[in-house]
Amino acid sequence: MKNVRLHVLVLILVVIAELIGTKTIPVGVGNIVLLPMLFAMILGVLITPKFLKIAREKEMDDAGSLIGLTLMLLMARYGTNIGPTLPQILAASPALILQELGNLGTVFFGVPIGVLLGLKREVIGGAHSIAREPNVALIGDKFGLDSEEGQGVLGVYIVGTVFGTIFIGLLVSLLAAVTPLHPYSLAMATGVGSASMMTAGVGSLVAMFPEMEEMLTAFGATSNMLSGLDGIYMSLWLALPLSEWLYKKSYKAKYGQLPEPSKAVKGDD
Amino acid sequence: MKLSHSLIVLLITAAITLVGNFAGYRVGLLEALPGILILVAIAFAGIILNKLIPIKIPSVAYIVTLSTILTVPGVPGAETIAHYTSKVNFLALATPILAYAGIYTGKNLDALKKTGWRIVVLALFVMVGTYVGSAVIAEIILRLLRQI
Repeated sequence: MKNVRLHVLVLILVVIAELIGTKTIPVGVGNIVLLPMLFAMILGVLITPKFLKIAREKEMDDAGSLIGLTLMLLMARYGTNIGPTLPQILAASPALILQELGNLGTVFFGVPIGVLLGLKREVIGGAHSIAREPNVALIGDKFGLDSEEGQGVLGVYIVGTVFGTIFIGLLVSLLAAVTPLHPYSLAMATGVGSASMMTAGVGSLVAMFPEMEEMLTAFGATSNMLSGLDGIYMSLWLALPLSEWLYKKSYKAKYGQLPEPSKAVKGDD
Repeated sequence: MKLSHSLIVLLITAAITLVGNFAGYRVGLLEALPGILILVAIAFAGIILNKLIPIKIPSVAYIVTLSTILTVPGVPGAETIAHYTSKVNFLALATPILAYAGIYTGKNLDALKKTGWRIVVLALFVMVGTYVGSAVIAEIILRLLRQI
């Protein structure tokens, strides 16, 4: 909090990012949008000791401890879009609730690909979910973070932390441009991961469909809240058993024999 | 973290947001001031509720719930709150967060280097799988409900 240098640096980054503004790149039938928030993040990484050395170790530590608080104003702002649209949100609640099952898409997609890439039980930790904080905690609790499963979930977590926001922002923008998926569906799905992933995704959509801003932000924020509530149970009861089963199938298909059981000390209980 | 510390951080973020809101969206500092102060008040109220109520619910959940209730049509003052807060562009609120997050991400680069390329590829597929899975289900249900 007392790190004035950090706040001044952030202020400068924000002004530069906002002055660059929203950029659009044409792709075939539509445009990919690059938002100021993505520029702010990239510039933020660039001023750290690995690159330009303007921010020091201390600024990195302090920034980490403040992210949670800085998110709160944005969350309050999301609520002010949910309130006025509450009737529509409630009407769409079956879609909002059922799309949470889409989290299982990662299992069907990720587990076979992980095995194909030559990964072993890392796949179970890494592909059972989008690997945000609660999922890391769950795998840590069940297998220990130094196990193969733990290494998988930590790896996907770190990649998501570094690239996730930018990746989701671009992915949403691309899907909105080239697929027939409705912006409402794309907005609901942005809730799958962290709040910044959701914001980058919803932000891209709002830049493309400004007249739908209120509904898009409300759907994204509601879905993100729901994932926060049900995500851990979804992982524990559905995604993890499904990952185990699909891992065995995929492993047998690739290597012609069943995989070795988990070496994790904590094991199943 | 002490309440006074939290309030100061909220006010710093608010100030940075006001500047960004002007630089990027041309909304005057004074025009957006009431809205951002309302957001600070709601956020601070959420933090206090989290401390007062013994059940373990994160502050963020209180904050979203509170600002949702305050802006439901028919609730006294709802339109006023929605009017003022709409002056604060939500993208302008997101930019400072990602600037802080970017600086913090510098810390994760070493861990990223140690992560094998297979996990990196897997992570990208995981994000695509989760996102597309959810979007397709949402699309199907919304069409069945005839809402799109």
